[in-house]
Amino acid sequence: MLVAEFEPQIIAFCCNWCTYAAADLAGTARVHYPPNVRIVRVMCSGMVNPIYVLKAFEGGADGVLVAGCHLADCHYLDGPVKCDAMVDKLRKVLHVLGLEDERLRREMVSTSEGVLFARVIKEMVEQLKTIGPSPFKVKMEALA
Amino acid sequence: MEEIRTGVYICHCGSNIAGVVNVEEVARYVGTLPNVVVSRHYRYMCSDPGQDLIKKDIKELGINRVVVASCSPRMHEPTFRKAVEDGGLNPYLYEHANIREHCSWVHDDKKLATNKAKDLIRAAVMRVSHHEPLVIREVPLNPNVLVIGGGIAGMQAALDIANGQNKVYLVEREPSIGGHMAQLDRTFPTLDCSECILTPKMSDVGHHPFIELLAYSEVEEVSGSIGSFKVKVRKRARYVDENKCVGCGDCEEKCPRRTDSEFEMGLAKRGMAYIPFAQAIPNIATIDKREERLCKAACKEACPIRMNVLGYVSLIKEGRFREACEVMRRTNPLPAVCGRVCYAPCEEACNRGQFDEHIAIRGLKRFAVDYELKMGKHKAVPVERSKEEKVAIVGSGPSGLACAYDLVRQGYSVTVFESGPEAGGILRWGIPEYRLPKTVLANDIGHIQDLGVEIKVDTPVKRLGEIFDQGYKAIFMGTGAGMSQRMGIPGEDSPGVLHALDFLRQVNFGVKVDLGSKVAIIGGGNAAVDAARVAGRLGVEEVTVVYRRSRDEMPAIPSEIEEMEHEGAKIQFLAAPVKILSDNNRVRGIQCIRMEMGEPDASGRRRPVPVKGSEFTVEVDNVIMAIGQRVDKAMLPKELAYTDWGTLSVDPVTLQTNIDGVFAGGDVVSGPSDVIAAIAAGKRAACSIDAYLRGEELSVEEGGKVERLSEEEVTKVKERFASRNRVGVSKLKPETRVSGFEEVEHTYSPDEAQDEAGRCLASLVEGCFECGECKEVCEADAVDFDQTDQIIELEVGTIIVATGYDQFDPSVIPQYGYKKYDNVLTGLEFERLTCAAGPTEGKILLKDGREPESVAIVHCVGSRDQNYHEYCSRVCCMYGLKYAHLVRELTKADAYEFYIDMRCFGEGYEEFYKRLSEEGVNFIRGKVAKVTDEAITDEEKGKLIVVSEDTLLGKIVRVPVDMVILCSALEARSDADHVARLLSINRRTDGFFLERHVKLDPVATPTDGVFIAGCCEAPRDIPDTVAQAEAAAGKVLSLISKGTVTLEAAISTVDEAICHGCGRCEEICTFNAPKVAIKNGALVSSINEALCKGCGSCAVVCPTGAIAIRHFTQDEILAQVAALAEAC
Repeated sequence: MLVAEFEPQIIAFCCNWCTYAAADLAGTARVHYPPNVRIVRVMCSGMVNPIYVLKAFEGGADGVLVAGCHLADCHYLDGPVKCDAMVDKLRKVLHVLGLEDERLRREMVSTSEGVLFARVIKEMVEQLKTIGPSPFKVKMEALA
Repeated sequence: MEEIRTGVYICHCGSNIAGVVNVEEVARYVGTLPNVVVSRHYRYMCSDPGQDLIKKDIKELGINRVVVASCSPRMHEPTFRKAVEDGGLNPYLYEHANIREHCSWVHDDKKLATNKAKDLIRAAVMRVSHHEPLVIREVPLNPNVLVIGGGIAGMQAALDIANGQNKVYLVEREPSIGGHMAQLDRTFPTLDCSECILTPKMSDVGHHPFIELLAYSEVEEVSGSIGSFKVKVRKRARYVDENKCVGCGDCEEKCPRRTDSEFEMGLAKRGMAYIPFAQAIPNIATIDKREERLCKAACKEACPIRMNVLGYVSLIKEGRFREACEVMRRTNPLPAVCGRVCYAPCEEACNRGQFDEHIAIRGLKRFAVDYELKMGKHKAVPVERSKEEKVAIVGSGPSGLACAYDLVRQGYSVTVFESGPEAGGILRWGIPEYRLPKTVLANDIGHIQDLGVEIKVDTPVKRLGEIFDQGYKAIFMGTGAGMSQRMGIPGEDSPGVLHALDFLRQVNFGVKVDLGSKVAIIGGGNAAVDAARVAGRLGVEEVTVVYRRSRDEMPAIPSEIEEMEHEGAKIQFLAAPVKILSDNNRVRGIQCIRMEMGEPDASGRRRPVPVKGSEFTVEVDNVIMAIGQRVDKAMLPKELAYTDWGTLSVDPVTLQTNIDGVFAGGDVVSGPSDVIAAIAAGKRAACSIDAYLRGEELSVEEGGKVERLSEEEVTKVKERFASRNRVGVSKLKPETRVSGFEEVEHTYSPDEAQDEAGRCLASLVEGCFECGECKEVCEADAVDFDQTDQIIELEVGTIIVATGYDQFDPSVIPQYGYKKYDNVLTGLEFERLTCAAGPTEGKILLKDGREPESVAIVHCVGSRDQNYHEYCSRVCCMYGLKYAHLVRELTKADAYEFYIDMRCFGEGYEEFYKRLSEEGVNFIRGKVAKVTDEAITDEEKGKLIVVSEDTLLGKIVRVPVDMVILCSALEARSDADHVARLLSINRRTDGFFLERHVKLDPVATPTDGVFIAGCCEAPRDIPDTVAQAEAAAGKVLSLISKGTVTLEAAISTVDEAICHGCGRCEEICTFNAPKVAIKNGALVSSINEALCKGCGSCAVVCPTGAIAIRHFTQDEILAQVAALAEAC
């Protein structure tokens, strides 16, 4: 029997103005990408609370993407700076928790970069396939 | 607590969703989720019946939460919120799941897509349970509108809105509005002239009381949101005062520098000061200054008459030699003279000298006037006499001529009284022919006479009264200092001792002078050097110059000293004559004494001191004294007052003498000086006389400041440009020189002059280099080089983007030969050719000026081509047909249309196509493979051969033609991405701006309050562009007429019971919305709702969790995340 290939699950936090719109544009332009991602719409990447990311991992996500505007495009002027600061701190926590660095990805994707959005998802899926399922999920499945 | 009753509606979107996602399975699954009371799927949820489903369920099933899974919330969230509200619920008790853009359109595995849809809807269902009703805020909408882009779309939209008496700011990047339509000649299919229908609209825009036109401006920053955008516009400096400029175009005509005209597609040139086209609005000039000049224009500042050196050197560089002479003559009455004998302080000051060698300014000046003379100088047009007063000038030397020149050009009647037989003063009799040929001097003087100056020769003036008696109202005395100084040594009066000025005068007037074989010249000035070189030419074998100081102190022009030495003259430095020795009334030598340099004297030069006992004798046959000149009082009217130095005494500012109305300048006032100083004095006196005659105060202009480049500036220049020394001029060989009076220095050839002028640092920068010629000629005094860019802040409620398109550059398709072959043109270039106001005045001509015998029109260049743009540019078929018609109408040429498909879809378009077929145009269906000049038959020789497949005949054809027109694609502006970011709008993959809905909302964008119109959205023709502009205006007008906008309710809120006032929210907020203050005895934060934008950063940093973002609360998002994670 063939063992089904591991399909990583990704939860993406995308800002309403840029990356969510970029994902829309990928759709309008029919730029395909793997169906492994689920997008949560936030108003600004600076709105992403580390608790949301931790919750995603706790729930078993193999990867989390936090994506928003480029610095110059931000609807709220400096959201990306705040987001970067949050992600930097959060990485240390993830490290303590034993989660690989690659599982949290921070990207800036503007409204017109639908193709880039699709590429980011493809890359992330491939990368997560090489590092395997989240250790959280593995542990939880073992306990279950 | 109320029971949560959720209704879920899954949209098929026709087959857009249902074709990939199994909507029935999803609906069944969703029905099993907690709190879900009803789960339906429907073909088009956004339709009325779809929305009615929701309203009905709210009423009949009592649902209090709604989820719709359909397209992007950026598209239809407002639609369904409205439906929920209409059904009687708060619109925020709604959540949207995006299963089209984020699911069915990007995935093709139906099972996986269905699973994803289930996940997304489950998350929405879990989230919506936590939603709370929110209060919607209405705020007033600012009725002012910003329109970006002044092409036909922007103008039309602006006019529609302004006609409704709403303020419109129209921002246009170019100096004039009009856009591409202004460049078009005729418009298809009616062939009416584009300008004729466009320019009245341009004029309406320019004069509309409700339109504020900001041309030559760009939007830099946009913030805020619908109803209250804040916009920063950079109004670029035109360096022209908009309120003063009358659009006469004088500045452009006189601008020394030319560049390709953008408006004429490079087929014609424009000045750096320019108005892009005749009907430009605003009709004001723009100076295209792109960077600061690399030099300090020290040449101009160093020149006593501030000649515009930069201007004429640049004109010479561009080969506009006659115009260079015009620029010179504007300030200098004697350019040919100065081109030869001026000591050229400009050259010494030239900043290029700090880099390698200074520019040969004098040589260039001479070249230009020589060239003009050689090619036939146009006779100067006499100046119309506009002033009643007559002015008399006494003396026709440089100061007198300069004074006469400036006064006659101001409209005075001017008469010059010259005591000698010919005009020119010292220039005529004092400067030897080999330095200043008489013909050259006569040419300069002739020009002055042509302007209307009368010169009376052989007319000495003895009494000032007799001149005033003749009705002259003012007199200028420019009589020079023509008498030689005496030395006062024994033997000075012996026969055989000559004075330099007398000697030069005799030679210049052809009087024979007998000299022996050895001659000594006493002195070190220009007169001494001139006398020495003349003596050599008269056959003297040994010429010795005796000078009491060293070479460094010699006042003569160094190059002249050098040439004199080349010609064989010797110099005895540090020697002074004490006595002239003579025998039998014949000079036999001079006794000299050695000198040494002592302390500096009053002139700053070190005083020579005799060395005791160092006497020596030089054997000579003649001595020529050239130790200085002075004013000859005997020649002047008695009533004038003198200084202690024997020169005329004048007021230092007005140059007026002790007698009212009598002015003086030049050597007669200053003592012996140089030509340019005398000219400057004459010009100053002219100003003073003009002020005197008009009874006005004389305004004195500040003298220029000669600046040098700093070390850093020199380094900067060195980094940019390679060093290149000045271009030398050829000279007569010294051996041949001394046999006659032929001019020693040759003039530059045109190529050499252009090469040398090309070294001028000023004109090495791009664009205007501030030579100031425009400023000089502008009668309105509108040129202002101190202008700077201005940032204008606007507040508007809505924005229309109408930024147009770029023409595809066909040179990226090398096989079409654009830019390789002269007669391969783009569409816009051909438009300019056929336009009556264009570079060929409407004639279709090849580059060599012939009329073509055959023309090929190539369709789909860069469009419908997967290598470039896949889309169809929509207008090319029709304008291609128009070109064929014009070729047939304006020439006898054959026209060939190479097309893939003919797309003639508009009103009268198909009929136009039919008409063209009947006009004898050849239609060849096939994509052109290449354009080449490689002939394989005699018939093809000298032609451009268009190689194409003819798909109707099924064979390859080769069509030899004279001209090829490439119907180039319309493509998105190269900076469309920048504009998109500025306004938070999207672009499609083809680069054009994305509309909110391609069919149902074609001029709105996903950003509320921002609309798009015209070719920035997609290629389209003029009628469609205008219709779209009117649509955008309609959208804006409906918003204005409503007057308010609904604001997002999703903003921050503080739970005061938890907050302990730490202030982290205050620190992080960019908009100063949170404020910590004491309330009921405790420190707490509160949010200013007017300032809060809802970005949510405060909630992230809040350590207690007191801050929540409405509609994006932690509970809501965590519920959503947890539900999504279930799938993991």
